[in-house]
Amino acid sequence: MSKVCGKLDEAGTALDSGGTYPVKLNKIIDLFESLPEDERRETLVSYADNAKKQEPLQDEKFDLADVRKDEECTDTVGVYLHVDENGKAHIRMTLGPEVQTLTRSMTAILCKGLEGSTPQEILDLPGDFVRRIVGGELVRIRSQTVYYVLTRIKSICKVWLDRQRMAQVA
Amino acid sequence: MATHPTHYAHPEALVETDWLEKHLKDEGIRIVESNEDVLLYDTGHIPGAVHIDWRADLQDPVIRDYISPEKFARLCSRHGITPDTTCIFYGDKANWWACYALWAFRLFGHEKVKILNGGRDKWKAEQRPMTREVPKYPTTNYLVPKKRFDEEIRAFFDEALAQSKSGKPLIDVRSPGEYRGEITHMPEYPQEGVLRGGHIPGAKSMPWKTATNDDATFKPAAELAKIYFDQCGVGPEKDTVVYCRIGERSSHTWFVLTYLLGLENVRNYDGSWTEWGNKVGAPIEKSA
Repeated sequence: MSKVCGKLDEAGTALDSGGTYPVKLNKIIDLFESLPEDERRETLVSYADNAKKQEPLQDEKFDLADVRKDEECTDTVGVYLHVDENGKAHIRMTLGPEVQTLTRSMTAILCKGLEGSTPQEILDLPGDFVRRIVGGELVRIRSQTVYYVLTRIKSICKVWLDRQRMAQVA
Repeated sequence: MATHPTHYAHPEALVETDWLEKHLKDEGIRIVESNEDVLLYDTGHIPGAVHIDWRADLQDPVIRDYISPEKFARLCSRHGITPDTTCIFYGDKANWWACYALWAFRLFGHEKVKILNGGRDKWKAEQRPMTREVPKYPTTNYLVPKKRFDEEIRAFFDEALAQSKSGKPLIDVRSPGEYRGEITHMPEYPQEGVLRGGHIPGAKSMPWKTATNDDATFKPAAELAKIYFDQCGVGPEKDTVVYCRIGERSSHTWFVLTYLLGLENVRNYDGSWTEWGNKVGAPIEKSA
């Protein structure tokens, strides 16, 4: 895990809170931060092209699946979680055809960047990296759904962790 | 009962996908894509099309307003557009942003404007050619427009208020839930920051989508006339103001009323609900 740089958001709130980025995600963040704007866009589109590859494989088994269309999203988004015997999370996602390009990009980025992290590490992940990947120019009010993918992934991890804790108590 | 038109008032303001595919390389035209999805153009576009970003290219970065005439001239010059170039706009969301960009071009007096009927979705559904190649056109020297035509096609808060008080046609093109004040954002969209739900007193609800078919093309003239003349009370002699949340959906309706029904006194209130719903002292209604 890589230590998050200390940063404040616009309200002056500390963003890092001691959190860390998974190594794979950190490499992706570094890559995007090194790119000029036009190449950043090209790379985002490349990731968006790869979003379909993040779909569940045939006969793949999952511990949890969460497929739904939320009010604030233009189409259905499915999140599938498998946690292996070492406690590492493997995430797959399905996106409806109306989902915006940036959301597709973030889907591929997060599925790859979070591969092999634990559910708790994913849950603790600060969201400030999204802007570092996407860039300030492209994150707009109507592009806020780029954060939605992270929220959905965290949500399924939280459900998995809650169930684990309940099972331990029982 | 009034006779309704059987043809669009300005059929030349629309081009069909079939026509455009045969005229991609015509001199004197520029195909312009404008979308809500900020990266959609990058994923593929109509060959030869340039991209105009509704926010980065058309809006002032500091003031809530459009760019200056000088910046507009630079934007057009960069894309090889002259005042004589016919700009054919298309985009996602059934041409919301294409109509918005067209309306913005009209703000600067650019007269030669058209919409691709059905927009990007229809073009793609018909499996017409797409490319990722970004075209380069020789830079032109677009003369700086002498004025912006705000008075003619744009309404500000005070004018929308006057419209409301006078009982003249005022059309709310948002979804019924937004109009009734049940929700303060578009269905399927995140919040855009507005304190109150409802609509401008006296406004009639006519969602923008009422003007389109399922394939995003515009409905025939007679149907449009029934919708807007009969149900909304607009007409050739009446000033009309349209609004939504930030002016893009209402640009679509503005295009319908101005070009397809031929009304000459239609203004788009682009401040729309994100201004009205937050404005101190602005009255609202929540009636059904």
